[in-house]
Amino acid sequence: MHIAVCLSRLPDPNTVEVDPLTGAVDASRMLYILNPADAAALERALQLRAPEDRVTALTVGPAEADSILRDALAVGADDVLRVWEEGRTSTRPAVTALLLATALRTTELPDMLLCGTRSLATGSGKVPALIAEYLDWPVVTDIVDFTLQGSMVRFLRRLAKGARSEGEVMLPAVLAVEAGAAALRYAGLPDLMKAKRAAIPVQDLSELGLSPVDLNFPAPTAQATMPPYRRPREIFVPEASLPPHERVLQVMSAGIAQKSGRIVSGSPEQAADQIIAFLADRGFVDRAG
Amino acid sequence: MAVNGGSEHFDVIVVGAGPAGSAAALIAARAGLSVALIERGEYPGAKNVSGAVFYGSAILNKLIPGWWEQAPVERHVCRRDLVLMSPTTSVSLDFRSSAAGYSEPPYNGFTILRPKFDRWFAAQAEAAGAFLLTSAVVDDVIKEDGQVVGVQVRRDMGELRGDVVIACDGANSWLARKAGLQRELHTHELSLGVKEVIGLDEATIRERFQLTGDEGVALEYVGAVTDSVHGGAFLYTNRDSLSLGILGQLSSLVEHKKRPYDLLEAFKAHPAVAPLVRGGTLREYSAHLIPEAGWNMVPTLYGDGILVAGDAAGFCLATGIYIEGINYAIQSGLAAGTAAVEACRRQDFTRYSLMKYMELLYQRNVLTDLRAYRHAPAFVNGERLQNVYPELAARISESLFRVAGDRKQKLLPLYWQTLQQVGTKPRHVLKDLYHVARAYLW
Ligand SMILES: Cc1cc2nc3c(=O)[nH]c(=O)nc-3n(C[C@H](O)[C@H](O)[C@H](O)COP(=O)(O)OP(=O)(O)OC[C@H]3O[C@@H](n4cnc5c(N)ncnc54)[C@H](O)[C@@H]3O)c2cc1C
Repeated sequence: MHIAVCLSRLPDPNTVEVDPLTGAVDASRMLYILNPADAAALERALQLRAPEDRVTALTVGPAEADSILRDALAVGADDVLRVWEEGRTSTRPAVTALLLATALRTTELPDMLLCGTRSLATGSGKVPALIAEYLDWPVVTDIVDFTLQGSMVRFLRRLAKGARSEGEVMLPAVLAVEAGAAALRYAGLPDLMKAKRAAIPVQDLSELGLSPVDLNFPAPTAQATMPPYRRPREIFVPEASLPPHERVLQVMSAGIAQKSGRIVSGSPEQAADQIIAFLADRGFVDRAG
Repeated sequence: MAVNGGSEHFDVIVVGAGPAGSAAALIAARAGLSVALIERGEYPGAKNVSGAVFYGSAILNKLIPGWWEQAPVERHVCRRDLVLMSPTTSVSLDFRSSAAGYSEPPYNGFTILRPKFDRWFAAQAEAAGAFLLTSAVVDDVIKEDGQVVGVQVRRDMGELRGDVVIACDGANSWLARKAGLQRELHTHELSLGVKEVIGLDEATIRERFQLTGDEGVALEYVGAVTDSVHGGAFLYTNRDSLSLGILGQLSSLVEHKKRPYDLLEAFKAHPAVAPLVRGGTLREYSAHLIPEAGWNMVPTLYGDGILVAGDAAGFCLATGIYIEGINYAIQSGLAAGTAAVEACRRQDFTRYSLMKYMELLYQRNVLTDLRAYRHAPAFVNGERLQNVYPELAARISESLFRVAGDRKQKLLPLYWQTLQQVGTKPRHVLKDLYHVARAYLW
């Protein structure tokens, strides 16, 4: 099996200093680290690797990003690849994803692509989904744990408020894991030294068969929509004409009648008709023929 | 460079990428040796602490001409203040110079921020061909028949072999002790420095400290700043920040049950300091040991297959008027590197061959200076200098400058009276004068 892992380098949050006056970030003080969720993805890839398997680590970034690929080599990645267009200063998630997907296509499509579910820096979490889109693969995000059974992956995802959901997906697929999914191993001294000396292969746009124009996505056009807003809550006022005792009762019930539900029964078609009729009566849907 | 089994062989292994280590690695790599420079931090300088004013500009200029143009320096120091403090008053000796030695290249000294400077300096060693390995802690030396033949790194298969190991691992060197060259240090031989970097915009710094362009000032404080603890304080101007901190003798911190952080807070609140730091924002806080006993704590500097340089060897001059460590670290690193190069040429790595290091240390004035100022540490940490004289100077100045309609006293009676107030006898003063003279004059 061939497992690819996407890594990204980001400023160590402890070294990011914002000038309180200008709001500018002082880049000269910044140090970079491997995105923690990506480190977890790399570790999971290494744990999965059987003797005949291969793990490739990729990153999109300038020459300074070589350091995270060296780290990946030191802990045991078999191959690494850096993708970059010289002169570029940053990439949007869509461009990063396109570059990664194209690099995988032009070199060798893996059986599984692992990445961190979101970066600590921007945290948009878009890249995994966009790569999957470009490769036309399924994507599962927010994975806290997974196991491989043949070519099927059983996963556990994190949902809001501590909930978890289980599921399955067939390979090839993009699996985006959470930072807590694994702790990256520590490299041995000889591996560390070897990685330090390794040459890091780089591919630029032309080698990927892309032109700079391919990266110029149309700027998103704005569409005027009203944001949804919450209706002001109505405050219940009891009827002034009632005796005090009745008014107190009215206030305590806040004028709200018990919520009533209605359960429709019958065959699915009949039930659907009843629901549509109900909604149509209240003007939510058009009474279609 | 041969690879045998898991472990590689280097001509020289330098432990610690501080100024001493990078200098040693640089000179050895330039001579064509295979050099490993091993640093425990994520990058060189990650956790290194100094004030810092680097006074060795001329030394580095010989090695890397015009170094300050490419290195991350903050300001060149052309103004120095020695400030004596009582709790309410300060008396200072203000030195400023536009003489060539101070205000023209190569300048006398620069304020630097160690994390940046150390990273740059180690990169120079790397560019010269040294192999820099970070995030690697050296736990021990490897010895065979009494000869040091390498180091043990805290990693899987962490054995690294080399002909000469240069220990540049800083104050209270673990390696020098492991190699049996240094005894356990006493707490009165070490000081603890705590330091803050306070961000302040450039214009405010220039205005507040009366500086133009890249000029900088170094202020050293003695007296009430450290309460009853023996020590001192400093404040240096960087480009857009101030470095300030206090140093306290370890034994006296313990004895007086003082926490260095509280002393630092008190220092910042002192009427002579508060207006200088007002409006700043805290950027960094750090603490580090300083070897302060000078000549008296220098370990055996060489052994079979090993040399000790920089703070690890106690090469730091803390005389009250200045703390100089970085310049001696570089000088001793260069001396050690050169000694290693010569040993490699002779292919003799015994202590008799490495003894050449001593000669080089004298040539580079490291041992000469340390020896000349050998009486200074004890004097600087003496009770009267620490706590009585600053108070005396403050009180005399207070009386001298005060106009309350009383009869003006002339200096000698004033001095006499104040001396009695602070409880010091004239013979003590005479004795101290002798000590000052012995420590600083001849
Ligand atoms: C608060 C303070 C203010 C100071 N102000 C000044 C000043 O203004 N001017 C001045 O000249 N000097 C100053 N000094 C002194 C100066 O900092 C030192 O003398 C100087 O840093 C010594 O350099 P070095 O290379 O010997 O050691 P260090 O700079 O301490 O470097 C030692 C290096 O070794 C590494 N290391 C340690 N142990 C290991 C290990 N086991 N394995 C791998 N790596 C290891 C460390 O991480 C570090 O990078 C000051 C010191 C302090 C604490």
